[in-house]
Formats: sequence, structure tokens, C-alpha cells
Amino acid sequence: MEPIIRIENVSYTYEGGEQDQVEALLDVNVRVDAGVFVAVIGHNGSGKSTLAKHMNAILLPTRGDVYVLGMNTRDRSMLWNIRQTVGMVFQNPDNQIVATTVEEDVAFGPENLGVPPHEIRRRVDEALTLVDMRGYEQAGPHQLSGGQKQRVAIAGVIAMRPKCIVLDEPTAMLDPVGRQEVLRTVRRLASEEGITVVHITHFMSEAVMADRVIVMDDGRIALDGGPREVFSSPDALRRLQLDVPQVTELAFELSRRGVKMPRTPLTVKELAEDVDALLSGRYAR
Amino acid sequence: MRMPSVIVGQYIPGDSLLHRLDPRTKIMLSLAIVVALFSVHSQWSYMMIGVLVLVAVAASRVPFKMVVRGLRPIVFILLLTFMLHLFMDPGEELFVVWRLRATREGLALGLTTAARLILLIMATSLVTLTTSPIVFTDGLEKLLNPFRVIGLPAHELAMMMTIALRFIPTLLEETDKIMKAQMARGADFDSGGLITRAKAMIPILVPLFVSAFRRADELAVAMEARCYRGGAGRTRMRQLRLGALDAIAAVGVVAYLTAAVVLF
Ligand SMILES: Nc1ncnc2c1ncn2[C@@H]1O[C@H](COP(=O)(O)OP(=O)(O)O)[C@@H](O)[C@H]1O
Ligand SMILES: [Mg+2]
Repeated sequence: MEPIIRIENVSYTYEGGEQDQVEALLDVNVRVDAGVFVAVIGHNGSGKSTLAKHMNAILLPTRGDVYVLGMNTRDRSMLWNIRQTVGMVFQNPDNQIVATTVEEDVAFGPENLGVPPHEIRRRVDEALTLVDMRGYEQAGPHQLSGGQKQRVAIAGVIAMRPKCIVLDEPTAMLDPVGRQEVLRTVRRLASEEGITVVHITHFMSEAVMADRVIVMDDGRIALDGGPREVFSSPDALRRLQLDVPQVTELAFELSRRGVKMPRTPLTVKELAEDVDALLSGRYAR
Repeated sequence: MRMPSVIVGQYIPGDSLLHRLDPRTKIMLSLAIVVALFSVHSQWSYMMIGVLVLVAVAASRVPFKMVVRGLRPIVFILLLTFMLHLFMDPGEELFVVWRLRATREGLALGLTTAARLILLIMATSLVTLTTSPIVFTDGLEKLLNPFRVIGLPAHELAMMMTIALRFIPTLLEETDKIMKAQMARGADFDSGGLITRAKAMIPILVPLFVSAFRRADELAVAMEARCYRGGAGRTRMRQLRLGALDAIAAVGVVAYLTAAVVLF
């Protein structure tokens, strides 16, 4: 089956004047299959945003090709199809809300697609329900919290009925409460709506929720696999200037001191289960 | 110095007859009143138009205070034009102050000119008082649309207005934040002469502009990512509809204004 996103041998160079060229991506290959929840992590400047912007033709590769459901992003005639298929949510919630009220903003995408008015209304209501923002239709953006604004931005993308949604550090500017609200919404998109999610983040605890974790380093893909696989080598992650989830770190320290951990735990709950099993095993003996 | 938290428009939500009129009707009729004000000369005509404006204010259920507040910025101009007419116009002497001669003709002309300005401001601010900014922009876009053939970018103008309205509160908030940050570092915005104070604003304006440009850049990318490609092929969720009320108001007001112009 054709993957939603196929990135083939892509390199990208920012041309910033005479000598300052920045090679932000170097020969990157990624396939994102439908229905998968992918997290992308990597230190600042590792090329995550650049990669994300290739996924809906905001940037075109300097070398190589990007395909969205088989459509090459270089093909201008497919541009709007591509952008409707892959929606994008950005880091700063303030700079992506266009309209003066919540419902007008959510309607913005479908309006651009030429959807008939009554159908737009339906989609707006559905999208606002999905992100738990019903009742805020008439509110102005400046009356909302960061987490609410970010959920409105997500609703604005959902109303376009995309197959895939790329979120570029959507929680980076939020307080802990806002972060949880947005994460709950993102998880719901992936698990209940069957939308393919590419979630870029620098919080390891968020990467843990994904089916697959891609680690970027200086424009290259350094690690790619299930979260358990990726987080099982804390030393490798540290070399890539990344933290390891605290529970994983704790389990790693335990096993270094001779405790036989059955797996790489990713959540507090998993670690608790493992420790519990170990302890009850010991006392049973 | 404190920044008002919300200053977008002066719209007062409500459900009056005026609120229910289509924005296009309101904009066109307020223009009709302005045109009428400039084509009449008799005080009876002014009186008739004045009655119309007062009836409209009553029908809008907007507190009279709010309508009058719109006049504040022009108080100085009002007084100045009135005085100029009163003392500079030739005619029959009324009284003399120092070397200035007030005339009966000057008084009459001064009063009608003031009335004209006052009615003009009241009629136009009644539109913005009873129309939400979004609906107003929609109406304006629809009205300007026919002029696209002569190159007027109607959609783009409306979009610019929407974005401006959207970002005014954000930028005000940001100004407030920057000012507080500068004050925490010892900046002083409230003392010194005009030039000192203007100079003190520079450390505020520079970061504000830098951030505004960054915002504009990011917003443009976000709009394109949501398939924005100008007005062509775009639909709107909210549809403006001209109804019976609009027809009645249009016919009634135009007939009344015509009478006010031709009768006297
Ligand atoms: N508009 C730009 N012009 C020039 N260089 C840029 C631009 N945007 C990003 N870069 C550079 O490209 C590299 C990758 O940036 P980015 O993709 O934003 O990384 P990340 O999102 O992982 O922090 C960095 O070295 C950054 O400085
Ligand atoms: Mg980034």
C-alpha cells in the first residue's frame, strides 16, 4: 500500500546569503504508513521543523523527492490536494489563528477548499466537539488559554478532513495543563479518528505515547523504531543530546546494578508493574 | 501607563432592528445620510435628518451615551469650525468680544456646520456600534466586490482588515509585556519632555516591530498550509442575506432623505 508520506533521499539547504548555507537535511529517507502515530524527537536545530515542512509542500527538497499518497510535492497541480491530505499545526498558537472568533477560524480551511456553507457549519461543529471546545464558538483568540488556542488550531486542521496531521512542537509554549489538554486531543485523533499523526516534540514523555519514534540529529535520522527499542539505549540518546524518560533511566540504573529488568519500561505504571513482579518473585522464592 | 485589554471595535452586541439589518444595508444607508447632509442647506432639512438619526439611535437600543462618545475625538474641530464661522463670517453684528465681531449669519452657519458634523459622526458610528467587526468586513467585501473589475482588491482588503482586528489585542498585550519588562529594568515612560518620552518608546517599538514581522511570516505559512490562495474559489460559512427588513429600511430611509432634500 502507498504510504501517506514517502520521503526519498531528501536533502535541504537553506540559502542564507553568500556563505551561510545551512544543510538542514541530509539524505533523509522516511515512510509514514497510514494510521501510525509517529513521534519525531531531536535536539534544537536537528532539522525537525524542516522535515515537517517538507510533508505538506511548504518546503520543496533541494535534492530528492517527497510523495504524499503518491503525489510528488513538486507537482504544483497537486499542491492543494497535498495540503488538504496533510494538515499542519505549528508551535506558536498565536501566529496560526487567522480569524477574530473561534468558529470563523475553524471555518477558514474548509472555506479555502470551497466547501458549501452548510457543510462548513457541520464540520466546524464536529471539529470543535472533537477538541472539546464547543461553547467557545464566538470567543476571540485573546480570550483563550494557550492550550485552548492550540486545540482550536487542531480543530481548524481537522475541519479540512486530512488523512494525516503533522504537529510541530505544539506543546512547547504551553503550561503543564495546556500540554495535557493538547496531548489528550492528539491521542484521540490517533486512536479514535484513525488519523495518521506525526508529533514533533522535545518532551521524551510525549514520544513514549507513539507507535514509532524517529530521532533526528544534524539533519540525519539517527534512530528509528518502536519507543521501547529507541529508549533502550540511554547512552546513544545522550550522545544525541537528548534526555531519557526518567522511568527508563531508573530502570537502566537498576539493571546496571544487577537487577534483572524484564523490559525497558516507558511509563511509571510499567515500571511499577515490573518492580512489583520482581519483588513478589523474590518473596515467593 | 495601562493598556486597555480589549478595544477591538466599539460593537455593542444586541438584537435590535438595527442589529438585524444586513451590514450592506447599514453601510449604504449611512452613506446616503452623509450624502444628504452635504446636499441640503435649510435648517428644516437638518432637522428632518436629525430626527431620522435620533429614531435610528432609539431603534438600535444602544445607550445614547455610547453614541455621543463617538463625538469626543471631534469636539475640538467642532468648536473651532463653530468659532471660525461665528466670528469670521460677514453679516449683521450680534456682539463684539475684544476685536472679534460675531454675526447673525455666522451663528447660523456655524450651527448648521456643527450639526452636519455631529449627525455625520452619529450616523456612521451607529453602523459600527450595531455591527460586529467580522460581519462588517464581510459586508464591506461584498459591497466592494463589483469594483474588482477596475482592479480594486476587495477580498484582500477585507482579509487585511480581519487580520488587523485579530492581531490588535495580541500586539497590545505584547506592548504591555515589553513595557513592563523595560520598566523592570528601570525605564521611565512617564517623565521628561516630549522628546525624552518619545526616545523612551524606542526600546519598545523595536522589539514590537521585530515580533510583528515574525508573526506575519509565521501566519502566512500557516494560512498557506490551510490552503489559502486568495479569494477565488473560496466559500464562506456565514452567508449574508438581504431580507424584508432590509428592503423596508432601504425604501423608507431613501424616501425620507429624498423628501428632506427636495422639500426645502
Ligand atoms: N529560515 C531559515 N534560514 C536559515 N537557516 C535555517 C532556517 N530555518 C532553520 N534553519 C537552520 O536549519 C537547521 C534546522 O532547523 P530546524 O529544522 O528548525 O530544526 P529543529 O526544528 O529541529 O529545531 C538549524 O541549523 C537552523 O538554524
Ligand atoms: Mg523546530
